[in-house]
Amino acid sequence: MLIQIENATKTYFSGANEFTALKGINFQLQQGEMIAIVGASGSGKSTLMNLIGFLDRVTTGKYLFSGKDVSRLSDEELASIRNQMIGFVFQSFFLLPRLSALQNVMLPLFYRGDPLPLAKEKAQHMLKKVAMEQFMQHRPNQLSGGQQQRVAIARALVGEPEVILADEPTGSLDSKTGQEIMSFLIELNRNEKRTIIIVTHDLNISEMCQRKIILRDGNIVTE
Amino acid sequence: MKLVTHIGEGLNNLLTSKLRSILALLGILVGTASVVAMVSGGELATNEALKQFKTLGTDLLAVSISDASDENHSEAQQSFSYDRAVRIISSDKAIQEVAPYTQLYNNIQFEGHLINGSVLGVSNSFANVVHVELDKGRFISQFDGYGLFCVVGQHIYQEIKKYSFRDPIGAQIQIGGNIFTIVGVAKSWPENSFVYANVDYSILIPIMTSMALSKFVMINNIIMRLAPDSDIDQVKNHATNYLNNNLGSKSLYFRSAKELIARMSKQSEILTIFLGLIGGISLLVGGIGVMNIMLVSIIERRREIGIRMAVGAKRSDIRSLFLVEAVMLALVGGTLGVIIGVFIAFIIALFSHWEFQWLFLPPFIGFTVSAATGIFFGFYPAYKAAQLDPIEALRSE
Repeated sequence: MLIQIENATKTYFSGANEFTALKGINFQLQQGEMIAIVGASGSGKSTLMNLIGFLDRVTTGKYLFSGKDVSRLSDEELASIRNQMIGFVFQSFFLLPRLSALQNVMLPLFYRGDPLPLAKEKAQHMLKKVAMEQFMQHRPNQLSGGQQQRVAIARALVGEPEVILADEPTGSLDSKTGQEIMSFLIELNRNEKRTIIIVTHDLNISEMCQRKIILRDGNIVTE
Repeated sequence: MKLVTHIGEGLNNLLTSKLRSILALLGILVGTASVVAMVSGGELATNEALKQFKTLGTDLLAVSISDASDENHSEAQQSFSYDRAVRIISSDKAIQEVAPYTQLYNNIQFEGHLINGSVLGVSNSFANVVHVELDKGRFISQFDGYGLFCVVGQHIYQEIKKYSFRDPIGAQIQIGGNIFTIVGVAKSWPENSFVYANVDYSILIPIMTSMALSKFVMINNIIMRLAPDSDIDQVKNHATNYLNNNLGSKSLYFRSAKELIARMSKQSEILTIFLGLIGGISLLVGGIGVMNIMLVSIIERRREIGIRMAVGAKRSDIRSLFLVEAVMLALVGGTLGVIIGVFIAFIIALFSHWEFQWLFLPPFIGFTVSAATGIFFGFYPAYKAAQLDPIEALRSE
């Protein structure tokens, strides 16, 4: 079992108010699965994604990753495991505007401490894989939305993470480009047995995944 | 490797907001320039003072004797004989050698050509005490007595050479109404504050002769060489007593190396305090400017910080990224400040007639101070950036 979440809750405190975004979630994921997490806004799907992606910690409950309890890690440990295990793909691409495509893809390796020539080589290889090798020196604002998302996928893949975590990956793209990006993710899952989690509210997208879980008001309603 | 990349990214970021960066580093620039000018100025002044005393030694004491008031002028001039002047040596054990001298303002002529220069009546000890070295011939000797012999300064010698190619030794030169025979030529002499004349532009004659030439010529300066580490104040008291007993009421003005150094350093002290104040305030304001710009930059780049954290940047990575940027901002200001500061020091040296030198210490201090300002004022913004919550940072516009 790659990911095992047991009875997880997440409560946010702001002053005297508290808000429980996740109310006791149980969720499991095998290596090589492609899964959609679906829900309206406020359903808790973003919170779940943040927990899975090590951007946040559970308030109560347990999170086991590859069998290891990772529910109570320090900030430094979270940063390190996020760097090693998770590749993020975001709705608005989130490339650094002042860096070239190549430099953007090198970023996770840089924070991992890889030597620069090795990082460069890996990043070039990954950009080739997403068919962006002619655009390596381009800045994000010189690229189309679809191209930017390809660079972002290359950045997510370059560190060989266990999980690709995609938050509305087609949300900012037209339907044709969105379809291309989805096909690419599906291929990655089929051909390379990559574990992919897609967070979306788009039912068409979730239909393309092998499995989906639907969240409502902080609970999983169907699996 | 991370540091190099951070430096590259920091530079890149500073360049994308040029105007803002320039405004932020202006304070650092002025501060560093003041500090560099201050330290350079102080060091140049000290070097200048030391240069004089290196050749002279710090063990000289000079006394000038003048009439207490103008009213006494009509009274019979009570003057010092050379013998009594020299006997000042007995007033204190610390006095090792004395060199009284007189000054004359007679015309000097060489082969019919008027030569600009002054005339000093000196004894043989003068050469020792104020370090006159000879180029040719001999110095004034105690056996010259009332003889008409003279030693010419280096500049006078150059003048003479224009009119005669002959060996100057043995040549004759007219001072007032008397013909003197040149017995020596002095080497170029480093000017010093103990003698009220420049030997290069002077003709030195025996002191007895000078006093015999006119009744108005008096011994009004005595230079004394003291034993090392002697109590200068005590010597002054003893010398004052001796002079008062022998001369009646005259006003005495003493100059010692200690006082000259004190006067010079007081001059540069005012400068130091002034520039130090400007430097301190500017660095404070500049530091706050850096802090401000970094805080603004962090608010603008929250999403970037979030993205970096999402791909695995640790809090320490974010902290060093922004700290490096703040330090670079300060160092750019510091570099410009060092250049301007050295230039200011050059101008100060020019107007104070000091010798300008390239010093190592002031630029070093300038760089250190500006980098320290960057680190000090950049630390809080960098810390704040590192403490951002990755989720909130990613969500921000």
